[in-house]
Amino acid sequence: MVDRLRPGAGKGQGPLVSVLMPTFNRRRYLGGALASALAQTYRNLEIFVIRDGGEEVADVVRSFGDPRIVFIDRKENRGKPSSLNEALAKAQGKYVAYLDDDDAWYPNHIETLVRALETETDCHAAYTDLYRVYCELRPDGERAVLSKHVEISRDFDRFLMLYFNHVLHVSLMHRRDLFDKTGPYTESLNILIDWDINRRTAFFSDFHHVLSITGEFYCPLKNSDRISDVRRRDSDDYLRNVLAIRTTNPPKPWAKMEELSIIMALDRLDHEVGRTLMKVWRHTFYPYRLYLPLPPADLARLDIEMPNVVCIPVDPRSSVDERVDVALQKADAPYVAVVPMGLPIEDMWVEDAVHAILRNGTNREGFLLGGAERGRWGAVVRRADLRQARTAYPHLSVESSLAACGVRMRSPAPEELPFQFDELLRQGKAAEAEGDWTLAARLFEKMGRQYGNGLWMKTMAARAYFEAGNLALASRLSREVNRIRPAVDTLLLEAKVRRQERDFAGAIRLLREAEQGLAGSVRTEPAQGESRRQHQQTCGGV
Amino acid sequence: MESMNANEIEKHKLTQHYQVLQELGDCYTSVGNYSQAHRCYEKAASLGPDEPGPYVGLGVASLQVAKLEDAEIAFRVACRLDPRCAKAYAGLAMVAQQRRDFPQSFDLYMKSLELDSNNITALLGLFQVSCEMGSFAKVIHYLQVYLQMHPGDTSVMFALSALYLKDGQAGQAKGLLQDLLTLEPTNQDATNLLEEVEHTMAGVGRA
Repeated sequence: MVDRLRPGAGKGQGPLVSVLMPTFNRRRYLGGALASALAQTYRNLEIFVIRDGGEEVADVVRSFGDPRIVFIDRKENRGKPSSLNEALAKAQGKYVAYLDDDDAWYPNHIETLVRALETETDCHAAYTDLYRVYCELRPDGERAVLSKHVEISRDFDRFLMLYFNHVLHVSLMHRRDLFDKTGPYTESLNILIDWDINRRTAFFSDFHHVLSITGEFYCPLKNSDRISDVRRRDSDDYLRNVLAIRTTNPPKPWAKMEELSIIMALDRLDHEVGRTLMKVWRHTFYPYRLYLPLPPADLARLDIEMPNVVCIPVDPRSSVDERVDVALQKADAPYVAVVPMGLPIEDMWVEDAVHAILRNGTNREGFLLGGAERGRWGAVVRRADLRQARTAYPHLSVESSLAACGVRMRSPAPEELPFQFDELLRQGKAAEAEGDWTLAARLFEKMGRQYGNGLWMKTMAARAYFEAGNLALASRLSREVNRIRPAVDTLLLEAKVRRQERDFAGAIRLLREAEQGLAGSVRTEPAQGESRRQHQQTCGGV
Repeated sequence: MESMNANEIEKHKLTQHYQVLQELGDCYTSVGNYSQAHRCYEKAASLGPDEPGPYVGLGVASLQVAKLEDAEIAFRVACRLDPRCAKAYAGLAMVAQQRRDFPQSFDLYMKSLELDSNNITALLGLFQVSCEMGSFAKVIHYLQVYLQMHPGDTSVMFALSALYLKDGQAGQAKGLLQDLLTLEPTNQDATNLLEEVEHTMAGVGRA
């Protein structure tokens, strides 16, 4: 299996990979990006270059004279999602990979990912690590490389993917048939396009993280002209895109995601309800469907654009608990949040309890929402538990019926909350900023042991120990990292340690490797006797 | 304080290529490959035109191959880029020392030590120049200050002992050499110097 993926594999040997390269006004860099795609050791490619209006690039594309290139020349700028969809309609590959017009892959990029998807994992998507290249734009437009850093080497985390993207498209390859499930790119988006499709992909597959650096993306120091950077400056537009992404769910069934039904426990429709609904829309990132059990007259008055809302007509004389019961009959998700009016709705308002029940909840246990109190009870419970309680004790309040049915309610414990890794990372970086390098290093080491992302955390810890003057630990950790995945910054760090240890020959060897990395590429295989495979990991998320 | 460190982290990100070349130059200098060191420092200077480090490196590499004029020019550029660059003044002092201009060298070593009393090159250079000039008081002070910060540095303990002896402070020399030999019992130079000190003290006693 692996043999046919070796460098030089010809067309027909190994699955076809469709490479999508949309381009807009990047004529200067397009040639370099395209050359890096054509220089792949894995040869069975079809490379779609989609000019999305802007500068003419036909001559650049045709100058390569490579039959694997499919050039789509659109006069009008219709946006990146539209370009990708047009190319996908023509793509034949088993897998799809992406390359932006100003970035570059190393020659092993496609080979690494095809090998991973074909032989190392059952995931339908895989990604590698990339260098972020800080560069200075010279007057002639050329980019002078100042540094290359693997700033994030994060294992896949489904819950995080719902909140924020941590897999760059340039590093990603996935099965093309995933689009049958996720649907195409959302053409109304003009930013965060990667996240949109990654988030929807996470409903159906884990992402396999390959600990190898296979390309780079550029970050000019001043006046970035990256479209994503420019558009992020418009905060309203940014929020519009974020909300659109968070509330767009792919069609069911979802193999890897369990929906949440949010039932609003309402006795009337007023302005406060409207404000609450807006807050739910804005602050909820876990996939949900919201049920509004209200009398028909109220529903007729309801004027709301919010997606994923199900209006449930109820008897105007019914109690709030009876209305919840009616909505519960319609709710089909395995988890239900019962939300009273007046509950504070802010970031993580429901996700804390959802995370706790997904990760840790045993049967017959539910989790209180933040801000819930006597007279304002709200919680996330299993639908089965809630239905059983309401069937057995319909005359009691929702809260009392659950208690009577033996469903224990509690607040999530600190260790059950989401994003603990991110909180510790924030603490570690704060310690660095305050100059407490030893504390930072210890935190990073602990995080690597407890929360995955081991190589990334070892890299952070090695640097912190070096700054703290603890050469022994900096040496040990940087050597461990470089044996698995040498990068410019960790090679430089180990070289500094070795120089202080007066091992000049060793330092020179590492620095020359780092210099080579800055010029183009670094050793991409582990040192002899080491296995990267044992360090590869997939975080399955919730 | 917080933002300064954050800026330093940011600076680290932006100077990586420069750092690689500067480190490489320093390593090549340490193993005596001065032509490669020269190449690295020149590239580092092009990436960090405001940094004195590559020019100090170029000066050191030139000094090692006895190109005193090139060395002096490089050290002077470093001083211009950073008037508080102790290494650049130490380099200029070494150039003057090689030219046997001991008073000039002495002043430049002193300037270097004013900027960084921790600079071991300047300290030991000052020791050598002092021996040539027979002027010990100032260098004794600097060596004492250095030893307060680095109490186990046997090379400086030895130098200071020798200076004590030359300055007629045989008792101080003896105590320091005994401390040194506690740390390094097999240090033959220290053993020999201790014998000389004891001989001197015995001679003084007889007189």
